[in-house]
Amino acid sequence: MPSYRIGVDIGGTFTDIVFMDDDGRFLTKKVSSSTDNYAHAIIAGMEEVFAEARIDKAEALEVLHGTTVASNALLELTGAKTGLITTKGFRDVLEIRTLRMPRLYDLHWDKPPPLVERYLRHEVNERVDRLGNVQVALDERQVEHAIDKLVAERVEVIAVTLIHSYANPAHERRIAEIIRERAPGTKFCISSDVLPEIKEYERTSTTVINAYVLPVVERYLSSLIAELKRIKVATPVLLMQSNGGLTTADAAMRMPMNIIESGPAAGVVGAQLLAKRLGIGKVISFDMGGTTAKASLIEDGEVTRAHEYSVGSGIMIGSRLLSGAGYTLKVPAIDLAEVGAGGGSIIWIDPGGQPQVGPRSAGAKPGPACYGQGGTEPTITDASVVLGYINPGFIAGGTVKLDAGLAERAMLDKVAKPLGLDLPRAAHGAYRIAASNMIRAIKAVSSERGRDPREYALVAFGGNGPLFATGMARELRLKRVIVPPAAGLFSCFGLLCSDVEYHFTRTFRRLVLEADLSEFNRLVGELEGEAQARLVADGFPAARRVYTRTAHLHYQGQIYDLSVPLAAGALTAKALAELEEAFGQEHERTYGHRAGKEEPVEVVSIQVIAHGLPEMPRVPAEPALTRSNGKVGSRRAYFGPDVGWLETPIATRGDLATRTQGPCIVEEYDATTLVPPGAAAQLDDFGNIVIDIEG
Amino acid sequence: MQERNPAIDPIEFELFKNAIFSVADEMALTIHRTTYSGVLRDNMDYSTAFCDAQGKLVAQGLTLPGHLGSMPTALAAVMKKFADNMHEGDIFALNDPFEGGMHLPDIFVFKPIFFAGRRLAIASTICHHTDVGGRVPGSNASDSTEIYQEGLRIAPMKIYERGVANETFFTFLERNVRVPVKVFGDLRAQLAACHIAEQAFLDLTRHLGAERIVALMAELIEYSERMTRAAIGTLPDGVFDFEDFIDDDGIDVGKPIRLYVKITKQGEKITADWTGTSPQVKGAINNTWSYTRSASLCAIRSILGVDIPNNEGVFRCVEVIAPPGTIANGVLPAACAARGLTGFRMVDTMFGALAKMVPDRVMASSDGGNSGVSIGGYDKNRKPFIFVDFTCSAWGGRPWADGLDGNSNIFANMAGQSCEVIEAENPVEIPCYEFIPDTMGPGKYRGGAPFRRDYRLLEEEAVLQVRSDRRTFRPYGLFGGQPGKPSMNYLDPDGANTVLVSKFCMNLKRGDVFRHEVAGAGGYGDPLERAPEAVVKDARNEMVSLEAARNDYGVIVDPRTWTHDAAATARRRAELKALRRGLTAPPVLRQPWPDAIAAE
Repeated sequence: MPSYRIGVDIGGTFTDIVFMDDDGRFLTKKVSSSTDNYAHAIIAGMEEVFAEARIDKAEALEVLHGTTVASNALLELTGAKTGLITTKGFRDVLEIRTLRMPRLYDLHWDKPPPLVERYLRHEVNERVDRLGNVQVALDERQVEHAIDKLVAERVEVIAVTLIHSYANPAHERRIAEIIRERAPGTKFCISSDVLPEIKEYERTSTTVINAYVLPVVERYLSSLIAELKRIKVATPVLLMQSNGGLTTADAAMRMPMNIIESGPAAGVVGAQLLAKRLGIGKVISFDMGGTTAKASLIEDGEVTRAHEYSVGSGIMIGSRLLSGAGYTLKVPAIDLAEVGAGGGSIIWIDPGGQPQVGPRSAGAKPGPACYGQGGTEPTITDASVVLGYINPGFIAGGTVKLDAGLAERAMLDKVAKPLGLDLPRAAHGAYRIAASNMIRAIKAVSSERGRDPREYALVAFGGNGPLFATGMARELRLKRVIVPPAAGLFSCFGLLCSDVEYHFTRTFRRLVLEADLSEFNRLVGELEGEAQARLVADGFPAARRVYTRTAHLHYQGQIYDLSVPLAAGALTAKALAELEEAFGQEHERTYGHRAGKEEPVEVVSIQVIAHGLPEMPRVPAEPALTRSNGKVGSRRAYFGPDVGWLETPIATRGDLATRTQGPCIVEEYDATTLVPPGAAAQLDDFGNIVIDIEG
Repeated sequence: MQERNPAIDPIEFELFKNAIFSVADEMALTIHRTTYSGVLRDNMDYSTAFCDAQGKLVAQGLTLPGHLGSMPTALAAVMKKFADNMHEGDIFALNDPFEGGMHLPDIFVFKPIFFAGRRLAIASTICHHTDVGGRVPGSNASDSTEIYQEGLRIAPMKIYERGVANETFFTFLERNVRVPVKVFGDLRAQLAACHIAEQAFLDLTRHLGAERIVALMAELIEYSERMTRAAIGTLPDGVFDFEDFIDDDGIDVGKPIRLYVKITKQGEKITADWTGTSPQVKGAINNTWSYTRSASLCAIRSILGVDIPNNEGVFRCVEVIAPPGTIANGVLPAACAARGLTGFRMVDTMFGALAKMVPDRVMASSDGGNSGVSIGGYDKNRKPFIFVDFTCSAWGGRPWADGLDGNSNIFANMAGQSCEVIEAENPVEIPCYEFIPDTMGPGKYRGGAPFRRDYRLLEEEAVLQVRSDRRTFRPYGLFGGQPGKPSMNYLDPDGANTVLVSKFCMNLKRGDVFRHEVAGAGGYGDPLERAPEAVVKDARNEMVSLEAARNDYGVIVDPRTWTHDAAATARRRAELKALRRGLTAPPVLRQPWPDAIAAE
C-alpha cells in the first residue's frame, strides 16, 4: 500500500496542497485561502484530493505545514492580550527598544506600538548580577500583586523577563510557579526558556512575541488537528520553522516564535534540496511573487541563517543598514533579503522625472490594470503583457483572462508619455528597473558578504521568479538559471523535503586560546544533551538523530560575529587552534581582510543543531512532462532597443527536452519562464529547466 | 516634474543610480560588520560615499545625518594639496578640523579610483574612532579648551603612496592612541570599504564606459538638484529667524551661548545664515562650518517631504553661512571634540525658524540631542577601562502626532546600549533605565518622553564625565504646546540625591550611583485641545499623573473605569482658559504657560 506525505502551504490568497507518494510522485491542488479559519480551506482541499485521486485516508503518513498564522497575528496586531513582569527599573525596555529608526530625515516616522502596553507591564523587586549571583531576593508579594492585577485585566498570557535571567533563571522559574498556583488558567512564557541569551531588549521582545502569538497558534493548530481527526486523517502534523527545519505541532504550540517565517523558509529549503541533488555548491534562491521578491544563499548544500530579524519591518531598499522597524525576534531564521518588487508592483514617475518601480503594490484589489478590476496604475504584470512575455489568455492555465489593451493604456499614459519613450521601450525599462531593485536583494546575500554572485547559479521560483531571473542573471553576469518544475508551487515541495530541526544556543564569552577545555566540552555536552532529549521526545531513534555544532566568533572587541563549524568529538587544544584559523579565513573571505596573529579571537556563543531524519528520505520524483508535439505557437515579444521585437516561440516544459535557443517563452499553469535571445535552455534529468545565459 | 537632460537615457540612469547607491551602502555595511567600536555600531557614527574626480559628492550611503556634507569639505582639503599629485594606489587620510575635518575622532579615508590611467571617482569614508589620544580617554572631552588637548591632528596626507603603506604615519598613530588595536581594526575596515568600492566601480565602468560613467555621475547631481529645487519652490518665500540658547560651555558656567539662524527662502533657494550666533567658546563644543552645514541640511531635508539622493545637487540649493570665530565655525585653537551638542541644538534652532515658514511640517523642540556620559579609569591591575554612553530619547510634538518616546534624535541614527552588555563589559551596574512620567511638554500633541538611566560604579575609583544640556533653556513648545521638563543629573538618587550641574567632571568611588535624566521634548498645539482619550491613555499608562491630566490638559480622568468625565472636563478646560485672561500663547513657549505670559 502506498503512503502519502501531504504538504500544505498557506499564502495570503491561495493555499497550496501537494500529495507526494513513496516514489516521489505528486498531486497538486490550489484552493482559495479561508482567512477566517485557515483550517477550513486545508480540510476542504485535502478532501478533494482524497476523493479525486481515490486515496485511502489511512495512507496519509504525515502533514507538513507552512503557515502564516503566527506572522499575521503579529502584523495585524491580533495576538492575545499579554502582560509582562520584569525587574524593577526596567519596565520600559520593551517600548524604548533600541532607539534606532529605519528612516532618515523623516518626521513622519512612528514606532510600532508595543505589544504590551505600559499599564500591563509590572515591575518586581529582584536582581541577579551578570554572573548569576542573587543581589536582591525576589519579592514574592509583589509578584502575587502583579499577577492579580494582570488577571483582573483579563490578560490571556504573561511574559516574564528579568535582568540577567540567562545567567540564573531561578527568579523567573519561581514566578512561573507562582503564576501556576495563583492563576492556573493563565498561560505564561519565561525568557530563560525562550531565549537564554544576553541583551535584555532582544530577550524581552522575543519572549513577548512568543507569548503574544501563543494562544492564537495554539487555537489554530488544535482546531486543525481536530478537523483532521474528524475527517479520519490521524497523522502527525509537522510545521515548517523559520530556520528551515520542521517541528512537531506540540513544540510549535509551546514556542510559536519559531514558526513566524514559516512560509518563505520552505522555498529556500526546496532550493537547498535541488542544489544537493544537482551537486551544485553555490546557489542563490530567488522567489518572486505578487508583492515581494526574496533572495537567499545556499552554499555546499547549507542554507545561511540570521540570528535575529525583524517581523513586519516593511520592505525597503537599503534596509540592511537601517534597522529599527518591526518587531525584533532573536531566533535563528533562514537569512532572506526581501525587496518590495512583484507582479503587482506599481510603476511610477518620481518628482525628478525618473521612472520607479514599487515598493507600492496594486495588491489583489484592484490588481494590475490588465485585470480589468478598475486599476489604472501600471504594474510589472502590465509591463510584461505589453512586452509579450505574459500571455493574456493563459494565466493560471487560462482561468484568468487579462486585457492587454488596459495594460497598454496604463503604461502609455502613466509611463511612456511622461518619459518621452515609445511604449515597448518604456515597458522594457520598467522590467529592467524592477530587475535592478531585486538585484539589491541578491547582492545583500552575496556580494555584501564577500561572495561573488557570478559564481552562483540562480534557482528561480514563485509565480514571477522565472520571468525575471534571466534578466537579472544578465545584469549580474550569472551564468546559469534553474527553474524547477511547478515553480509556482515550489514552496510546498520544500515542505515535503525538510527534516525536523532544533537549534540550541548558549552565550559563552571566552578567548579561544584561553578557554578552559573541560568547561568548553561540558557546555557543548550540555547543549547536545538538550538536543538529544528533544529528538527523543519527538520519537526519533538513535540512528535518525544527527547533530551539528557551530561557534560564533569575533576578534576581541568586535561587535558582530561570524559562524564557524566546530569539530565533532571532544575538543582539544589543536581543535581550538584550528577554530581560530578557520575564523580568520572566514573573516577574510567575508570582509576582504583579517587581523594579525596578535589579535585574540573570542568565542561569543556555541550552537548545536539537532536534525531528526525521516525513516525514508523525502525526495520528489521527476514529474511527468507533456510536450506540445511540435505544435509550437509563437507571438511577438520585445527585448530592448538593441534587439527589438522578435517572433518568439511558445513552448511547454516538455519541449525543452531538446536544447532550445532563446528567445523562447515557456508557459505553465503556475509560472511563465522567459529564455531571452542569446541564452539557451534544456531540461535536466529531474525536469528542471536549465538556462545557460551565454547560450 | 522637472525637465530631464535629453542626452541621458532615463532607464540607464535609473539603473546607474541604483547601482552606485548600492555600492555606497555596501561600503557602509563592510564597516558596520567588522567594526571594533561601539560608537561606530551603536551610533552609526561613520559614513561612506562616492565623489567624482573633482571631489563633488555623487552618492552617500544611508548612515549618519550628522555627516551629510562632510565629505566634500574634507576632499577639498585633499585636493588643494594633492590635486596634481594623485596616483593609482594612493590613499589619503585626515582628521584636522582646521583643514577639512570635523573633530579629531573622525578620521576620513579617501581612495581615488583610476580607469585606464584616468581618475574617475574617489571612494570616501569617515569613521568615528574610539580614541585618537589627547588628555582624556575617548578623545571626546567637553572640557578641553584648545585643540592641542584633544589628540593627534592629522593634516591631509598620503597613508599609502602608489600602493605602499606610509610607515611613518602608522607608527605615529600607533604611539599616540590608547587602543591601537581598535583604531587599526577600524582603519582596516575603512580601507576594505574603499577597496570594495573600487572593485565595484571599475566593474561598472567596464560595463558602461568611462565617458558614460562621468556623464551619469554629473546627471545624478543634476537630478538631485532638480528634485531639491522643485521641493523648495513649493515653500513660501520670506525671511524666518529663531534664537535659542545652550545653557553654557561647562567652563564659563552659567553663561548662556546664543544660537541664532536667519533662514531666507527665495524661489528655489534657501540660505541659512548663522551670523549673530555666539563667538566661539572655551569648551569643546565649537562646530566646524561643515558640521553647521550638516545640521542645517538635516532640518531642511526633513521638511521637504521627498526622497532625494544625498549629493552635491542638494548642497547647491542650500547656502549655509557661518562666520569664522563663532561657535558655528570655530578657528584655531578652538576645541571641538564635543561639538555634537551644538549640532543637535542647531537642528532644533532650524526647526524653530522653519516653524514660521511651514508650521504644519516641523516638530517642536526635541530633548536637545545626545547626552554623553563617560566613566573611565584603571582597574586594580592597572588595566584601563573606558565606558562611554550616549543617550537621547524624545522627539518634539508634531502637527499631526505626539513626539516619539524613546527614539533616536533625527540628527543621529543611534542605538542605545544594552544594560546587560554594559554590565558584562564594564565595572558599571545599571540599576534602572525607564521613562520619567510628567516630563513631556504638554500639547495638543505632547512632546516625547525622556528616560533616566542610573550608573553604579563597581571599581574602586573612576572619573565620571558628563556632557548634557537643556537644564536652564528647556526644549521649547510650539503654537501653544509647552516646554518639556529640563534634563537633570543627580548623585546618589536613593540617598542624598545631590543635584549636579549639566557639564562636569568628578571622581566616583565604589558604590556611587550617578543618575542622568534626559530632558522632555516640547509639545505642539494647545494642550486643552488634546483628545481626552489620549490623556486617559497616558494616565492609565502612568506617563501622565491624574493631577497633570487635570492641570495641564484639563481632563478629569476616572481611574476606576479609565474614562474621562466629559462634563467635568469641559468645566475644567473652561476654568483653565479663563486663567489665561484672554491672552494667547506666543508661537514659541520656553517656559510653562501661563506663567510665561505673566512674566512677559
